[in-house]
Amino acid sequence: MSTPTYLIRRVLQAVAVILIVTIVVFALLHALPGGPARGILGPQATAQQIAAFDHEQGLDKPLPVQYLYYLGQLAHGDLGTSYTLNEPVSQLITERLPKTLLLTVLSAIVGLLLAVPLGMWQAVRRNKPVDYIITTLSFIAYSTPVYFLGLILVLVFSQALPWFPSQAPQGHTLGQVLSDPQGLVLPIAAGAASMVAVFSRYMRAATLENLSEDYVRTARAGGSRSRAILWRHVFRNSLTPVVAMLGYYVPVLFGGALVVEQLFNYPGMGLLFWTAAQSSDYPVLLGCVLIISVATVTGTLIADIVQRIIDPRVKAGRS
Amino acid sequence: MTADHSPAAPAAGPILRLDDLGVVFTTQSGEVPAASGVSLSVDPGETLALVGESGSGKSTVALAAMGLLAGNARATGSATVAGTEVVGAGEAALAGLRGRTVSMVFQEPATALDPLTRVGKQIAEVIRNHREISAKDAAAQAVELLGRVGIPEPDKRASAYPFQLSGGQRQRVVIAMAIANKPALLIADEPTTALDVTVQAEILDLLRRLAAETGTGVLLVTHNMGVVADFADRVAVMYRGEIVETGPVEDVLLRPSHEYTRRLLAAVPRLSVAGEGVPETARVATPATHSAPASAPAEPVVELDDVSVVFGRGRGAVRALDGVSLTVRHGETLGLVGESGSGKSTASRVALGLIRPTRGTVSLFGTDLARTRSRARRALRSGIGVVLQDPVASLDARMTVGECVAEPLRVHRRALSTRERQERVAAVLDRVRLPRDVARRAPRELSGGQRQRVSLARALVLEPRLLVADEPTSALDVSVQEAVLEVISELQAELGFACLFVSHDLAVVQHFAQRVAVMRAGRVEEQGDTGTTLLRPETAYTRRLLAAVPVPDPVVQRSRRAERLTTLAAGRTEATA
Repeated sequence: MSTPTYLIRRVLQAVAVILIVTIVVFALLHALPGGPARGILGPQATAQQIAAFDHEQGLDKPLPVQYLYYLGQLAHGDLGTSYTLNEPVSQLITERLPKTLLLTVLSAIVGLLLAVPLGMWQAVRRNKPVDYIITTLSFIAYSTPVYFLGLILVLVFSQALPWFPSQAPQGHTLGQVLSDPQGLVLPIAAGAASMVAVFSRYMRAATLENLSEDYVRTARAGGSRSRAILWRHVFRNSLTPVVAMLGYYVPVLFGGALVVEQLFNYPGMGLLFWTAAQSSDYPVLLGCVLIISVATVTGTLIADIVQRIIDPRVKAGRS
Repeated sequence: MTADHSPAAPAAGPILRLDDLGVVFTTQSGEVPAASGVSLSVDPGETLALVGESGSGKSTVALAAMGLLAGNARATGSATVAGTEVVGAGEAALAGLRGRTVSMVFQEPATALDPLTRVGKQIAEVIRNHREISAKDAAAQAVELLGRVGIPEPDKRASAYPFQLSGGQRQRVVIAMAIANKPALLIADEPTTALDVTVQAEILDLLRRLAAETGTGVLLVTHNMGVVADFADRVAVMYRGEIVETGPVEDVLLRPSHEYTRRLLAAVPRLSVAGEGVPETARVATPATHSAPASAPAEPVVELDDVSVVFGRGRGAVRALDGVSLTVRHGETLGLVGESGSGKSTASRVALGLIRPTRGTVSLFGTDLARTRSRARRALRSGIGVVLQDPVASLDARMTVGECVAEPLRVHRRALSTRERQERVAAVLDRVRLPRDVARRAPRELSGGQRQRVSLARALVLEPRLLVADEPTSALDVSVQEAVLEVISELQAELGFACLFVSHDLAVVQHFAQRVAVMRAGRVEEQGDTGTTLLRPETAYTRRLLAAVPVPDPVVQRSRRAERLTTLAAGRTEATA
């Protein structure tokens, strides 16, 4: 399949998935107790008030019509209005999404930059003390809840050793947030920890598998040194499965951001989601779900495209 | 890392000398010796074949000579390459030797190359490991090497990835890497085992030419006596980790002195060729088939009529079978031969009802498969037994042998009690000459030949009317192959099933099948009695296929090779004229 055909097909698939997500979100919106009207008018509203509101908002029309109407709203970037903050959901998300993206992308980059070399190091030193130590630390990092890990980080690196602030930068714009890089260290560390744990495992397994491949023996038979073989051949071959996993990891990263932002009081999507969940602010919750779904679909799409670039066999439809 | 001394300079004495070499593997169950007391030498320009069956230690010896043994192996004694000791040498010293003084060609060209690196770059890497030249010059030399190993359009092919090349071309790339720095010694470990017979002949020709051009000594590791006869000057025979016999190729292959060598050579199926005295036909090898009356043709058990199979659709569609008509009759064996991709396995799967033909009809036991419903089709299928190539992969590792064999009974004979089932399993194990107590063991505890007999027992437990055997002995050693084939033909005489026998090995088919169909690119090129078709083939393709098979007699093989090359040259001039 040629690259443009492939891209068009994959983007169409992504759009289809997002459409299905909107149906689910729309269904959830209508599955709310008392429907959206009860949510907005509050528990004190009478049946007449609800009926009047439903008529006014077009909520008495057939569901398919309402769905199309909802889609139309989405197309205009209208995600409804927050019950509690009285602001359009889209505006709330536009404000906070970049900050969450900054946090998750930086966590992912830091996580990968640590995980990939660690995994390769473990593979090369398989069943040696280094391997056992990193494996143990990985399992600890992976099995510790992010919340608990974050607290420990604050206790150690903010309270006991006053190296970093315990609160994330509070700025409204990205620039303001970035002007205080010290404050980002602990949130990023908390977000990256499980990523390092998981991806160093993947990388270790992939490297071990590739080290036992025949082509490594061929390269050795040609007089290449172990280090050269590791970086010239094994590294790239081991990276392909890891990149594929990265796409599926996007929702996990967002899930992590939820906790990290709450813990460090970082004004991003996670904090928005958290407060909305506590105050039953359904439009905000569903808006967030929609955005996270889009991010996940985009993440897998990007991972697939990257894989096509680094592995020519994918493009040829073989593996 | 400089090229100050030419490695190919004629060294005094042998280029490879193994002296009392031993290799021990440390495993969980203790120390396992893989080779011991191995002494041999290879002179410059000479080819020594190291032959033996699987587990004899021949590959271990080859890897030890390269210092490429696995981490849990320990070598003792001495292995010197061009005067440099390999046993106990450090990684740096070995890296300086490998790819420059000694190179290696491996068995599996599909996996021997880095899938993500362009082939030209992989060759250039070997060049630059040992010579101080620019990346650009190395790339140019890589292109030149690709041309030398017979890759068409080498400048374009240099930027191809391995998956874009055929198996034979990939092996040529591996050879190009091996000869990149004009090594004094080339170690080839089963270099043609994974290739089709015509490609094998080309690769052997290439290796022979390259070795002759540069005076390179070759250590050829193989189990194929035909390849030995075709290529080697001297032969060393390995058995259970030791060399039992060494000598010139004529002596060892024609006048073996050791008992094991004699047994091994006796088990090798020999391709009978026209004009070689009385042809040994299939009827001699399987006398039991005489019991069926030869005059009246028996009823057809499976019939493929004008069958075509197309995989995929649109421009990417592949026509795997194209108008194939085959018939296998009661009590007879039809050999289906052809090179990889010729469609022989697809045809056998169509006969099994696993692939629905795009066009044409398949009748099984007189019933048109397309007109049956799923339940009736299942009943029909209970009349077929299947044996596949890989005895390890085709048995469930988590079942006991008894459970594996009993499974068809559980599916198709549900009325049987547990005891009746056990009795049938025991009876069929007797038939394939396995002791009854293997029923309680796991498949992995058995040898390859025993496992393949378990597969056969499973295939026969329902007393099928048709046995489909897809390369049933390709993964086995010759001595084991002989025993398994014997069991199949004896049981066929006793039970009278028809057998569709898929194989790439023309010699085996000649001995085992009464009729043969030669396939090529999805079509049946020709079919007929084995005796006639494989001795006096009508098509040029079958003739070419037969000519490419090396026979395990160095004298005969030499003349066959000369004849084949003359025919090829004539064909080439004809084509260009």
